[in-house]
Amino acid sequence: MRVLLRLSAGLIGWTVAFCLIYALHGLGCAGAWDASRFRWAMLVAWGISIAATLGVALWLTRRRRTGLDRAAAALGWVGLAATIITFIPIAIVPACA
Amino acid sequence: MSALKLHYQLHAIWRTEPGWRGHLRSVNHSDMGKRFIVAAFVFFAIGGVLAMLIRAQLATPRSAFVGPEVYNQLFTMHGSIMMFLFAIPMFEGLTMYLLPKMLGSRDLALPRLSALGWWCYLFGGTIIIVAMLAGVAPDAGWFLYPPLSGKTYTPGINSDVWLLGITFVEISAMCAAIEITVTILKLRAAGMSLDKMPIFAWYMLATAGMMVFGFPPLILGSILLEVERAFGWPFYTPELGGSPLLWQHLFWLFGHPEVYIIFLPAAGAVSTILPVMARTRLLAHGAIVAAIMALAFLSFGLWVHHMFTTGIPHMALGFFSAASALVAVPTAVQVFAWIGTLWQGRPDLKLPMLYLIGFFIVFVIGGLTGVMLAMVPFDAQAHDTAFVTAHLHYVLVGGFVFPMLAAAYYWLPHITGRERVLQVGEAAFWLIFIGFNMTFFLMHLTGLLGMPRRIDTYPEEMGWTWLNLLSSVGAFLQAFGFALVVIDVLLQIRLGRMHRRNPWRATTLEWAMPIPSPTYNFASLPVVASRDPLADDPDLGVALARGDGLLANGRSGWRETIAVDMTSGTPEHVAILPGNSWWPILTAAMLGGFFLAMLAGLYVVAPVFVVAVVGLGWCWAWSNGIRIDVGPVPIGNGLSLPTSFEAVRTTGWWGSVFALCASATLFTALIFGYVFLWTIAPNWPPPALIAPSLAGPLLGVAGAAAAVVGSRSGRRTLGLAGQLAIVAAMVWLLAAAPSPSSHAYGATSAMLAAYAIFHAALAAIMYAFLIARARAGFHSQARDGETRIVRLWSDHAAGAGIAVIALLALPGWLA
Repeated sequence: MRVLLRLSAGLIGWTVAFCLIYALHGLGCAGAWDASRFRWAMLVAWGISIAATLGVALWLTRRRRTGLDRAAAALGWVGLAATIITFIPIAIVPACA
Repeated sequence: MSALKLHYQLHAIWRTEPGWRGHLRSVNHSDMGKRFIVAAFVFFAIGGVLAMLIRAQLATPRSAFVGPEVYNQLFTMHGSIMMFLFAIPMFEGLTMYLLPKMLGSRDLALPRLSALGWWCYLFGGTIIIVAMLAGVAPDAGWFLYPPLSGKTYTPGINSDVWLLGITFVEISAMCAAIEITVTILKLRAAGMSLDKMPIFAWYMLATAGMMVFGFPPLILGSILLEVERAFGWPFYTPELGGSPLLWQHLFWLFGHPEVYIIFLPAAGAVSTILPVMARTRLLAHGAIVAAIMALAFLSFGLWVHHMFTTGIPHMALGFFSAASALVAVPTAVQVFAWIGTLWQGRPDLKLPMLYLIGFFIVFVIGGLTGVMLAMVPFDAQAHDTAFVTAHLHYVLVGGFVFPMLAAAYYWLPHITGRERVLQVGEAAFWLIFIGFNMTFFLMHLTGLLGMPRRIDTYPEEMGWTWLNLLSSVGAFLQAFGFALVVIDVLLQIRLGRMHRRNPWRATTLEWAMPIPSPTYNFASLPVVASRDPLADDPDLGVALARGDGLLANGRSGWRETIAVDMTSGTPEHVAILPGNSWWPILTAAMLGGFFLAMLAGLYVVAPVFVVAVVGLGWCWAWSNGIRIDVGPVPIGNGLSLPTSFEAVRTTGWWGSVFALCASATLFTALIFGYVFLWTIAPNWPPPALIAPSLAGPLLGVAGAAAAVVGSRSGRRTLGLAGQLAIVAAMVWLLAAAPSPSSHAYGATSAMLAAYAIFHAALAAIMYAFLIARARAGFHSQARDGETRIVRLWSDHAAGAGIAVIALLALPGWLA
């Protein structure tokens, strides 16, 4: 089971980030939060997500004994890339328009 | 023991009874697999006939072939049948048949669960088809959007047929998901570590995992819509705090992963067949495993791309657009690995290979139009046009039907034991391939010219006439092609010569047995050292038939196979599997009675069937276990292992873990619905909240604590009392809540409480069962498996109880 968890760890990081950031976005828009603070909140959430998935990727990369470990490490970096790419709209699109 | 004597012994243990008893009581995986495949193909034929009727209607402008009422039923039923009654059951059937054979096991991990799934599928599908013949088929589109599917606009039972029938069929899908997951993780050949597993098993592990987490939102959405229709609880009614968008979220939370749930098994077949056809090994195995895992996760982040035009803020659309484009990358990794495999091998253009080439062409085009539709501006233009219909058919027919046809021709000799006759299959391929592209490539153009989906007719001056006519001609060509496939298969079954073992010179374990396969698969179980056991030892099948492997005996009449450590494949215990049984069909019949009672509006009668299901479940579980300790038993090669009666984590325990994962997902989706309505839907906050009080919540918390302590200390009566206290606390809170039909707040609160009550009541029944079993002598220090399973359910019920108390009580306290 641990092997499967390691294989999933990077993408679980992305999934958690996705849920939290999408929820934050929904709450902010529904609550009509101040636009500037809301954008900063989103940027901070994105930054924390990137840091967390980077940490997971580095942790997985240090342990590469078997073929599945190498796949897990690759998926760690996939999780990081997905976290960066998916949330690029935070930087360039108005939050609630 | 001689090989022949061993065969007779094992056959006596594993055989399906002759005649109608065998049809009703069999739990064997080969029987179940073949039944699913045949039934799925029958439903495919029905769905195909409906497609022909649709194309006949659209072939000419202002057609009077059928009216709008019938046409609405035609396209709704076509989509629903193809998605729920064909695609999913087809790959379930293929997997049920193949998986134990590929993994070196004698059966699936939970055979009676497969049989229950089979009967639920058959009964649920029959309800839907009978409703269609009676003229009351669903008619609101295969995704059944409210408010169109609500009571106001669909006052008859059409939508109820979909909601109840499909939910009944989904029980089957959940059974299969749990079954497949546990089988892959636990019932493999000795030595088959995860990295030595056949690639098909990786695909199915991901698929089954996705089903565990992907189907519950749809089941929840269907329950909510049916409750709204039956009892007037306003989950989707904006005037009372509901929102139709909640349905869209719940439906597509299932619906988009569903596309990959359908594609991944087909891709698994491609990855298995392609190297054999190319006479080489699969290239980039590790990259493909990583791509499978990436697809399994990323495909859950795309669902809103079906809702781009619903008014969601642009930033959120951007998230889903980016994720939708991103998912193309792992798909492309697989496509390039397959091309590389072909490049390094010497491809042999046999019939399965022909279908794989068809798959490549059609699926890649479908993938590219998928990336186009992932872009918000393009989607806004093409939304709800025939372009989308064309895209989804390229993806699903290209990504599923073509590979399944390749799989059919590849594994048919395994099922029939016979060779093909004539060359009908090649002619069928060309008819299907040309007919398909003629139908759906042109539909891209019709869509770009502005033709909407789901319209029953169109005026001549729109300029869509010749494209539609050609599409219809192509559709009929396809239909002729599929008819030829049926003829080809029937010819093979009736007239084909007996085939030799392993006709393709494949390297996976399903070919290490006589064909057609015996009921027990292997006379003795293999020990494997690589991903290609038949490449290591081409005579492995003969050695296993001789009894040179493990468990080469028919000890005590038990159905035995080996359960292994998940990661390393080291043998862990001997799994004793159940034999033929009445419980699956009886349970499915009672579930069918419940769904029919709901459909007929007999809401007082429906609970009677629930009680019957509980009673049958009790008897089913009672038939497990033994009253004496057995100790370790020899398995061959000088090894001894405990039986599953005395193992720590049995297949039943793991089955419960994944069942609870599915239930927790449904609960999370329900919480999402509660929060979504609170923040997004109009007419909130509600007129009244649950009045703050301490007694109810305290009772619930005390009950949950008692349940946890009881489950850990072995004090079953305390656990039982704790669960009953949770039920009482929920009733207390509900009594203080607004009426469920007055506002979505009351409705969602009642559903949350109902979830907690259901699980606490179930755990209470389990405790009562444990107490009775202990008194009857089924438990000892070694035989403690049932207690461990009940602990899982009890802890989940306690946790859910606490969460519901917090969700219901907090708003009143904070107000």
